[in-house]
This record gives sequence, structure tokens and C-alpha cells, in this order.
Amino acid sequence: MTVMLLVKDLIYRHQVKRTLFTKPECFELGPINFEVYRGQTLAVIGHNGSGKTLLAKALVGGVTPQQGEIILDGESLAQNERQTRNQDIRLILQHSKNALNPAVTIGSILNQTLVLNTSLDEKDRYAKIEQTLVKVGLLREHYFFYKHMLSDGQQQRVALARALILDPKVIVADEPFAALDPSVRSQTVNLILDIQQDLGLAFIYISQNLGIVRHISDSVMVMDKGKIIESGATNEVFCHPSKEVTEKLISSHFNLVDKHFEQLG
Amino acid sequence: MPLLDIKNLTLEIESGSEKVKALDKVSLVVNEGEIRALVGESGSGKSLIVRAIIGAIPDHWKITADRLTWKGQNLLSMSQEKRRVIMRREIAVVFQDPTSSLDPLVTLGEQLEESIPAEFVVKGNYWQRKKQKREITISLLHKVGIKEHDACMKRFPHEIPSDITQKFMIAMALVSEPEILIADDPTRSMESTTKNQILKLLTRLNETKNLAILFVSHDLLAISSMSHAMTVLYCGQTVESGKVKHLLRRPLHPYTKALLDSAPSFQVNLPPKSHLTTLDGTIPTLQHLPIGCRLGPRCPSARKECVKVPESRNIQNHSYSCHFPLHMPTSGQGQAKEQTDQHVSAKEHAGASEKEAYVKFNEDIDGPPT
Repeated sequence: MTVMLLVKDLIYRHQVKRTLFTKPECFELGPINFEVYRGQTLAVIGHNGSGKTLLAKALVGGVTPQQGEIILDGESLAQNERQTRNQDIRLILQHSKNALNPAVTIGSILNQTLVLNTSLDEKDRYAKIEQTLVKVGLLREHYFFYKHMLSDGQQQRVALARALILDPKVIVADEPFAALDPSVRSQTVNLILDIQQDLGLAFIYISQNLGIVRHISDSVMVMDKGKIIESGATNEVFCHPSKEVTEKLISSHFNLVDKHFEQLG
Repeated sequence: MPLLDIKNLTLEIESGSEKVKALDKVSLVVNEGEIRALVGESGSGKSLIVRAIIGAIPDHWKITADRLTWKGQNLLSMSQEKRRVIMRREIAVVFQDPTSSLDPLVTLGEQLEESIPAEFVVKGNYWQRKKQKREITISLLHKVGIKEHDACMKRFPHEIPSDITQKFMIAMALVSEPEILIADDPTRSMESTTKNQILKLLTRLNETKNLAILFVSHDLLAISSMSHAMTVLYCGQTVESGKVKHLLRRPLHPYTKALLDSAPSFQVNLPPKSHLTTLDGTIPTLQHLPIGCRLGPRCPSARKECVKVPESRNIQNHSYSCHFPLHMPTSGQGQAKEQTDQHVSAKEHAGASEKEAYVKFNEDIDGPPT
């Protein structure tokens, strides 16, 4: 098993100064250390406001961490090296609905990504887009569709296509299933599992839904107030949580599951 | 007598030149002190039902129903004033998105004080009433589990986290001491600890105050842990309805089964990273509804009979509308075929043998039928 992404001592401080005389409010993320292996899924769980989304942004370069190192596939990424980072670590946003441009076709959304990041000519780009659309379970004709013509599940697939089109090594997904309905959610889970197996992607999955976390992840990382408080193999963390926050989070989920099985008798 | 009784509610929306049935013969009953869950995906018309109940439907949408009654009074033929009084005092609604359904320009405390009915503050002189209102507000906030009432009341909706706004919305709904609480997706995108708190709060209200709750959601985990009965909605049609216990144990409609399968937590022997069972395709849009059973194109067991709308059949308070119900291999399917061949009412045919089979199924849950 090779380490795909290694994060060492990542620290990001965010300060807000509201008025002239008050002390600035400070949120500190980190220090964060973790590693993700090829073809494995790391899930990040935690309460609202524990810095999960901020971590995702720091990984893909949305915010610049003050300190720390990100090593991708054995090579250290410099903080300002946008090119490799954009290509190899891709982000799927929380609301893919709002993350797609409604005024242009799906084809040109994907084309834009290729134009900015690769040196393919027009013909190759078109071929690549078609190939990616098919890979995520859409049709070639969807090239000419607009956002509003697609259903929620299909929009989520487009978001996934946009992440996959550059053949990334790591995908960071911030609540990719939160806005989806149960049956469509299962489809997307299946799709992501398939793609991970085919391409050997490392997958960082940020979520509230512990049922799905338990199902798809290999290891889990629990965050609280910007720090990692616990991490380990999924089963280990779920069965023997060592910190109180984790235990609360997990037991409240399994309370509901237990009640369900009580109903079944 | 049921509190809220809806029978064959149909809502027609004009889209372009043609009329679309956004709700097609939906039936729903909420009894006194019952928690009924209304399950369905987005676009299945859950929120439309809520809007139809509270009367927030635009005039140009055509609404027809055999029954839409509140404690025996017909809500549709009622005068606006009378209906408003009922809405104000007896039915309370918690809307989907708490932060956007509160007034952003007024502090939370003021909003809650304003919604206290005048008849609750009649004691003493008028200058004492402000204090009384404040006391009612604080006790309500404590009741729903907001401990720092001062901090909450002085703030504006955007300044507090969404789970507290949700609790606040529940407090606001409870202020008039209603008999039924309609909660439209109250646990959406919440972490499990907060979700648990809200569910516990609702269960406690149901137990202590005998408050009936119509719990609209697609979170099956939440539903199965607290509700007594549930109604499953697909594309504006009720597909199955009955006790939660029965539905979970033996879903008769393929869609209900698909919904249950979609939650990985419900499956005991699911190996990690394996495929989840799921239905193909997505819920159709209102403009492209299939004829007959609306699940038809996605249903794994669909046959040519499914182009007719299946009639709703009722066995022991468990009603379903499907030509080929699951778990009824011998009786159900044969009956259904006869029904379509001879155009006989299904109800006559859902007779002895089918009922027998069903009773047998549920004996181990309920004990022998009396």
C-alpha cells in the first residue's frame, strides 16, 4: 500500500477583528497530521464548526495554510504551486447544485477545466469530456445540456465528472451526498465505490452521515475545534471510541439504529 | 375521531398549456396523540401536502379532495377567518428552512413574544403583561432545550447556529399549545447528536402533552426511531401506509423496500464497501410523469399491468397501492392479474386468502388477531 497523501503539521489561523478595541476572534486549525493510502477512503467526521470544511479548503488550496507540508505521492507540494495541486487534488463541493454555472452547458463547464489545466487540443478535449461523462454514468448528449435540465443526482454526477476529468490522485468530497435523496444517494455511493476501485483514487470524505461513513470508509478521523482528536481504522473508532466527543457522536447515531431494530423485534 | 383526515387529495398545477396532477389521490390520517411520518423524496409532494393543510396554496392551483377535515370540520369549505383561527391555535407548523423562515430584521425574543396569543397574558394590569410575556418566552425556550435564553433572545436569526434556530422554531410553534405539530424536515442536515436531541424533544412532547405530530422527512433513521405510523409518498401518490413496525418488517410496495435498502445502517450483514441496492433512474419531473403507477419505469417488478393506476388496498390498516405487492407471492399477484383482466374492483378481490396470508405474516409481531 503506497501513501498517496501525507499531511504534516498543517496549521491555519483565521482571525476576525470585528471592532477596533475588542480582541480579534481567532480560529486555529491544526496542527493536522494524517496520511491517505492509494485506493483508500479517509472519512472526516465532527460537529458543525469543527473545521472540517476548512481542512478541505486547505488541502485543495482554497486557503493558504501558514505552516505545514503536504506531500502528494512522494513529492512535497509547495504552498504556491497551484498547477499540480489543482490537477491532482480535486474538490467536490457541498452543494453541487449551486456550484455549477447555470448559464453555460455542461460540456463547456468541463471544457473550461481542461482549457485551464491541460494543453490538449480541441478534439482531444472533446473526446476526454465524452469519456468522462460516460464514466460517471451520464450520456454523451449531456454535453449540450444545461444545469437546469438535469436532476439532482445527475448534477452530482457532473460535479464528480468535473473532479475526475483531470485524472486526479486524490478527491476531497465535502458532504457530497447531503443534498441527495435516499435512492439517488445509494446510486452515487455505488458510483464512487466503482470509480475508486477502477482508478485507485484516494478519497477524503467529509460527512455527518455516520451510516454511510461506516460503509464506505477505511479509516476515520474525528475533528473537534480545529484539532484532530481521534483517528484510526473505521471499525476500531466505531467500536471503541476513546474520546467523549466521538463517543457521543457515535452513540447518538447507534441509538437511532438500535431503536430501529427494536421496532423489528 | 381522527384529528386530521385527508382522503383523495388531488392538487392540479397548470404548467404551460396542460394541467399536471402534483398530488394524485393522497390519503392521510393523523389520530390523536399519534406521530405519523410522511416519507418521500424531494419532489414527491411532501411539502405540498403541508401547504394544502395550512392553506398556503395559490388560488390558481386547483385543489380537490373527498375529505380534508380537521376534527370533523371541513377545511376546504370553511371561511378564511375561521380557518385562520384554527391555524393560529390548533395547528402549528415548523417550516423546512429555519433561518430563512424567521424575520431577519427582528430579534428572536421579539418574534417569539409576538406570537404569544393574547389570551395567555390576561392576568394583572397592562403594565405587567410585558413581564408575563417574557416569562412565557423563557420557559418555552427552556422547554425546547435552549439554556442560554438571554443570549438567544437578543440575537438575530443569522447570528445563531441552525440547530438552535430549529429548536427556536419548535418553541415558536408550541407557544399556542397546539394539538398537532406539522414538522417539515426538522432534522435536515444536522449532526447526529443534535438530531437526537430534537427527536427526543418531539417524543417527549408527544408523550407528556399528547401532541400529535406529522413528521415530514426522508430520514428513515429518525422516522423509525420515533414514529408510530408512516405514509410513503412517491411522485404525489401514496404508495403505502401503515404502522411503522409493519412497514419496516414487511414492506409491500417495491418503493418502500428500496427506501429501506438505501440506508446502510439498517442492514446487518452488509460488508463494507459493497454495493447498495438501489432503484435505477431518478424521480421524474412533474412535466414528464409516467402514466399509471408512477414508479413504473423504475420498478424492478413492473409488468404491463402497471400502466393502470393501482387501486389502494387495505388489509388491517396497512394500505398499499401496487399490482404486485412484495411478500405476497401466491395470493397478491394472482389477485392483481385478475383485477386487470376483468376490471373488477380490487377491493372485492383482496379477500379471504390474501388477508389470511397477511394476518399470518404479522401474527408474530402483534400476537394472534383478536
